Amino acid sequence: MAGTGLAPLRDRPDVLLSVEELTVEFPVGRHDVVHAVSGISFDVAEGETLGIVGESGCGKSTVARSIIRLNKIRSGKVLFEGIDLASLKGEELRRHRPNLQMIFQDPISSLNPRRKVRDVISEGVKIWAGSTGAWSEGRIDELMHAVGVDPKYGDRRPHEFSGGQCQRIGIARALAMDPKVLICDEPVSALDVSVQAQVLNLLEDMKQRYGLTLLFISHDLSVVKNVSDRIIVMYLGKACEIGSADELYENPRHPYTRALLASIPEPAPTVDVSEGNIDGELPSPITPPNGCRFNTRCPYADEVCFEVEPQMEAVGDDHYIACHHQVAVSISS
Amino acid sequence: MADILLTVEDLCVRFPTDRGVVQAVNGVNFQLEQGQTLGIVGESGSGKSVTAKTLMNLLPRSADVEGKVTFDGRDVRELARKKEDHFWGVQMTMVFQDPMTSLNPVKRCGEQIAETLRYHLGHNKKKAIAEATSLMEQVGIPEPTKRVRQYPHELSGGLRQRVVIAMALACQPRLLIADEPTTAVDVTVQKLLLDLLDDLRRDRGMSMILITHDLGVARGRCDEVAVMYAGRIVERAETETLFSDSRHPYTNALLRSIPRIDQPSHTRLDPIPGRPPELIDPPEQCAYAPRCRYAQTDCLDSIPEVGGVAGQHIYACHHPANTERGEAALAANLAAGETATGLKIHAITEGVH
Amino acid sequence: MADQDSSLDPAQVVLDYDDLEPEAEDSGKRKLGLGFWIAIGWLVAISLAAILAPILPIDGANVIAAGKKLESPSIHHWFGTDGSGRDVFARTIWGARVSLSVGFIAIVAGMLIGGPLGILAGYFRGKFDAFISFIFVSLLSFPSLVLALLIVNSLDRSLKVVAMVLGILAIAPIGRLARANTIVFAEREFVQAARVIGAKDMRIMVRELLPNVLIPMGALAMLGMAVAIVAEGGLAFLGLSVKEGASWGKMILEGSGTRTLRKGTHVAMAPIAMMFFTVLALNYAGDRVRAYFDVRETAF
Repeated sequence: MAGTGLAPLRDRPDVLLSVEELTVEFPVGRHDVVHAVSGISFDVAEGETLGIVGESGCGKSTVARSIIRLNKIRSGKVLFEGIDLASLKGEELRRHRPNLQMIFQDPISSLNPRRKVRDVISEGVKIWAGSTGAWSEGRIDELMHAVGVDPKYGDRRPHEFSGGQCQRIGIARALAMDPKVLICDEPVSALDVSVQAQVLNLLEDMKQRYGLTLLFISHDLSVVKNVSDRIIVMYLGKACEIGSADELYENPRHPYTRALLASIPEPAPTVDVSEGNIDGELPSPITPPNGCRFNTRCPYADEVCFEVEPQMEAVGDDHYIACHHQVAVSISS
Repeated sequence: MADILLTVEDLCVRFPTDRGVVQAVNGVNFQLEQGQTLGIVGESGSGKSVTAKTLMNLLPRSADVEGKVTFDGRDVRELARKKEDHFWGVQMTMVFQDPMTSLNPVKRCGEQIAETLRYHLGHNKKKAIAEATSLMEQVGIPEPTKRVRQYPHELSGGLRQRVVIAMALACQPRLLIADEPTTAVDVTVQKLLLDLLDDLRRDRGMSMILITHDLGVARGRCDEVAVMYAGRIVERAETETLFSDSRHPYTNALLRSIPRIDQPSHTRLDPIPGRPPELIDPPEQCAYAPRCRYAQTDCLDSIPEVGGVAGQHIYACHHPANTERGEAALAANLAAGETATGLKIHAITEGVH
Repeated sequence: MADQDSSLDPAQVVLDYDDLEPEAEDSGKRKLGLGFWIAIGWLVAISLAAILAPILPIDGANVIAAGKKLESPSIHHWFGTDGSGRDVFARTIWGARVSLSVGFIAIVAGMLIGGPLGILAGYFRGKFDAFISFIFVSLLSFPSLVLALLIVNSLDRSLKVVAMVLGILAIAPIGRLARANTIVFAEREFVQAARVIGAKDMRIMVRELLPNVLIPMGALAMLGMAVAIVAEGGLAFLGLSVKEGASWGKMILEGSGTRTLRKGTHVAMAPIAMMFFTVLALNYAGDRVRAYFDVRETAF
């Protein structure tokens, strides 16, 4: 697994966000660095939902937070409408912020417990309207209505609402900025099972209504499949497979993707996945393996995998993988 | 029919709080046969974990418990009163969601397993450590002789959970209660852990109660599944029956609201409206009625009795799904556009959105 | 960016995720309790008496009343008279004026200086944080009595100086609390959310962090005021309290001479009781306030 290379970038006029060779490293201790994300490239077309799936520590949340510039970026580009967000600083960066908004994982932690929900939702509008007051209470009411929280409860504080409701308030706060891209970082994993579907449907409806482009990060393979048009599978800071949602699940080509699908408690009958367990431990992101990063656990690994980092290559229509053994895999399937 | 190992009768658990008395468990009944796995499925607040803690005698003193729990002919609550130490941890053990809550961070893993053996079985130190090493090997921990001397923080989440499982199995328990044992780990590790539990259970003829919010996990690993809602078991059946022919509208709705991996991308989900009920002063009605598409006026008058075929498929519902009575209720509600509780419903829109 | 299009007809919205009711209303679930209101009542009464001392029908602090010295409590002298024949009740009120002012000014100074420094340090971290934290630690490490001796002796024994000394001593504990709380809240997702919608640092600190940090700071301030009032008593025993007028510390000192104690316990007991109840009230109220605002973070 390597996943470097610009192959998955599409040459289409409607590409809205394009991430090129993004690398993020965090210092730990005095000398070490965590290689959180290492040279990942992908793009998102306008109106598309891109899912990023992977296990904890694969760097999926770091990718999201880097796009929205909550992390320091080591190198690489984040092109949004032709502007490299990664190169922006201070006031210039702040001016671009409203275009990209985020929904956080923990709905309760993401709302200030001391503020009324109406103030939480209108905060962004107030910041940008400045003292002119060029925003209306009507707009806030409309947003609250749209996400299914009655505006008459606007004076309540977040702890008076359930987790699902708090997540909707967070969605309304993001929508108030009229963003083009909405980044959802595990938006339903903290919610009760019976409430997850409500929030997923809400996101889908908001996407249609407000013409959003979605980046959807989750560890849950079924959830990601449901919401996404296109999916990236990540492992240890690299992308290993990119493809359209249905194609990726029906015809997984990368050994890691296949192992992931095989691990789902109740595998879908349509997917015939021979890879069973992947054993062993996730290697430390401080000292990731040379060559392919999946080589310590991959059933197909051979000498090449330990020496040469595989590049992203097309294996089908809008389907890319980074693996030296794609042929072997496709035969066995 | 195999021997009954565990019987739970009319179990009720209440907690006094500042806001009132929480009815956490409200008349739970079930039996577990020797060597079988029972899945208990429910959301947070459904009472599944409280049930487990009651069995394990882990509730705080303030809890008010009623009902009878019999384990192999012995009254479990009587054992608790007599402070019978060598029952829990020997006959009946538990694995928790977060391995760090069961492991002492400043003690070596091997010592912790050995301690269980020394305390319950009176092994001497040397024998206990040797046994601990062997147990670690049995639960699939690589290099057990090295791991025995390591501290919990030196291990990954998956290995820590294996240590906890080794500890739970140390005294050859007859019943293992696993409370969300894989919620804190990744999906690939989850599979390995569940496989391990399966194998161990089969090899040792142990019974297991697997508590989870994940229907997929329950489906793949249990002989029988009980669905809990608001402190009650609303439906219980053999796993395949429950998933293919569910009767309680809650089970039914839960199964439909979850994104499935075999559905095409962008399949419109069919959510359950509303949210789980408050457990303080619940009204004398079906707790699910406010969210139920089948609800009729009688659902608001009384808490439904358990019906169905005892020992096979039981459910507590006045208008069970997939029955004539239930479908008539649903049809009437759809025609009216709302249920008896005022819930607005419309026909389920199938397909892609 | 607010109103462009996205006009929306509420009627067309199909809310199958509709869930309009919030959890049961929160009010009434948490209570401050009767004890809190008694404590507040005491603090208000004593503060009012201190503020209104000049217009209350009581003797001046140093007026020697007609009658005997060390007279026991009576209808004329509620708390009796002291060794110089002054009315102890009147002096207790005048003493409250000094003791409460010292405590109040000290804590306000500590909050105004320590609070912002702590929030800035906790928010920006890095070198600035290291520098501020070093100053806090230095202040805490410096023997407080020596500091007080140095300052009071080199300046004068006015109320301003005594309050300033105690204020300086309050900076570090308050500042460290503000810093620690800021660090905790700055990691919360709502602070990141504020940054994502384009809030500037100043706005994040004032609107998102301050309201959260202020509650524990306020609770600490109440406890701190109690500490300052007791500390004033300590300074009085070293002869470092306010020169002019009465303070509780000075009164206890005067009342605790061997002869006075033997003949008129009330002279020392009156200010001791005042200090005890005031400090108790501040501690209790501070604790209750903290517990009350300890918002449930989870919805269940």
